[in-house]
Amino acid sequence: MTINVVQAALLGLCACLSSMPGLGGTTFGNYTLGRPLVAGLVVGLILGNVPMGIMLGAAVQVVYIALVTSGGTVSADVRAISYIGIPLAMLYAYGMGWTGAETEAQSFAVTMAATVGTLGTVLFYGTATMNLIWQHWGMKQVDEGKLDRLYLVDWVLPWISHFVCSFIPTFVICLMGSNMVQVIKDYLPMDGIAMKTLFTVGSLLPSVGVAILLKQVVSKPVDFLTFFFGFTLCAFMHLNLIGCAIVGGFFAIMNYNIRVLALRPVAAVGAAADDDEEEP
Amino acid sequence: MKTLSQKTLNRSFNNWFYGNLTCFSQEHMQTFGYMLAMLPVVKELYATNEEQTQKLKTYSTFFNTEPQVGAVVVGITTGMEEARANGEDVDDETINGIRAGLMGPLAGIGDSLVVGTLLPILLGIALGLSGGGSPLGAIFYILVWNFGMYFLMRFMYFKGYELGGKAVEVLVGEKANAIRESVIMLGTMVIGGVTASWINITTSFKMLNSEGGVIVDLQKTLNDVYPSLLSAVFVLICWYLLSKKRMSPLWVMLILVVVAFVGVLVGFFDPGLSY
Repeated sequence: MTINVVQAALLGLCACLSSMPGLGGTTFGNYTLGRPLVAGLVVGLILGNVPMGIMLGAAVQVVYIALVTSGGTVSADVRAISYIGIPLAMLYAYGMGWTGAETEAQSFAVTMAATVGTLGTVLFYGTATMNLIWQHWGMKQVDEGKLDRLYLVDWVLPWISHFVCSFIPTFVICLMGSNMVQVIKDYLPMDGIAMKTLFTVGSLLPSVGVAILLKQVVSKPVDFLTFFFGFTLCAFMHLNLIGCAIVGGFFAIMNYNIRVLALRPVAAVGAAADDDEEEP
Repeated sequence: MKTLSQKTLNRSFNNWFYGNLTCFSQEHMQTFGYMLAMLPVVKELYATNEEQTQKLKTYSTFFNTEPQVGAVVVGITTGMEEARANGEDVDDETINGIRAGLMGPLAGIGDSLVVGTLLPILLGIALGLSGGGSPLGAIFYILVWNFGMYFLMRFMYFKGYELGGKAVEVLVGEKANAIRESVIMLGTMVIGGVTASWINITTSFKMLNSEGGVIVDLQKTLNDVYPSLLSAVFVLICWYLLSKKRMSPLWVMLILVVVAFVGVLVGFFDPGLSY
């Protein structure tokens, strides 16, 4: 399988729409098109193999399930993960004769995505820096009272930044992708130490994604019990995630009710308790 | 008495919904998205270009928060701008005070509640629906997330507009804390489930006797103790490095590369590959 010019251009367009300061907007661009699972569907449609795209995208999604870009700091930028990493992983999987269901295929996809994800960080800073030009021009327009030009500044001019920092890199790398995966296949034997390490990294990386999120939600050690409760439900009791979410939702409601009870005026509760003691 | 038309409010909201981050830079972040959301508002409230320009400049100061939950701030300032146009005593400092004051808390709520909890839950469910390469999970996520966020953001914007400056109390009150804590609890459980369901770290370490028979099969032993134990251990190590050692995610990934390399060398990890 190869990626032709039209396919590479479509992937480039998706990269423009889906990145963090993306042109698809926050909700639909970054948090929808940018998610590797959705990208798996989109890339699968573009390259003509949806099941493989989904399976590889789902594997990559686990690593980035908790990609929080708080305050404009990025650990990895989704445009490269989703629209360079997944297409290249699909090319490689084709070359190996995989369907995408194999653990090897999924580990390779994760490793590939994480590798190009670091390139994405460079692209992120590139885009943000180029946008400075439009913003400075935009401030001048506001000073001069040409207010409608704000639409141009916010919605149109960033396309130039994205053409340079999203479209071109994605287009070029995806076009050259088929040669590159052939080189990997020729020079790195599967039972060699390099490939073994690569695949092992692929299976280890998802733990970083989960840990990033845990850092957000765990504030005291006892919170880990909540984490292991969910873990146990799935690992021991073999609930799926929908079941896990329903059990979790039940506990969340109980917790909320208890917290709201505790919010009632303390004096009234204290008085009631005293009454009980006096009149057994 | 000037009242903003529904059309203008919709336009202002939609400008924010789409454009909050489209022209992002490290210097101004969401400032331009904010100005664009306020543009229809000042245009309807003030007649002359000078006045419109002067009022819009109120919003040219730095703004950055979690943009989806942050829709409420745009709604609040829209309400305040309307009040100002009707002669109420609202100056630039009041508006920017509220903007600056809510940026931080809302970023905290949005990052932990929406991006850190709701999004992984939906993705977790979607992953569960993606077995065998089914597109159902991705379609489920696209629909639920986009409709859900659109209506949530709309609700936040219009609630903020309605309440104006009074919205601040609702957002940081005790009841809001109780809800936040409970939803995060749900999120933490789901993340535990995601770890058990989607992370698959196993060891190939075996102790053999002189005839080549297996004395200890470490993975089998671990499974008897606690299934998927290694996956949980690696998550805890990463968490420790990220939050206690304050390493960046990139450094943690590099450490994992080293761990993988050493692990493969000593035979602890073996993905069992062949052409």
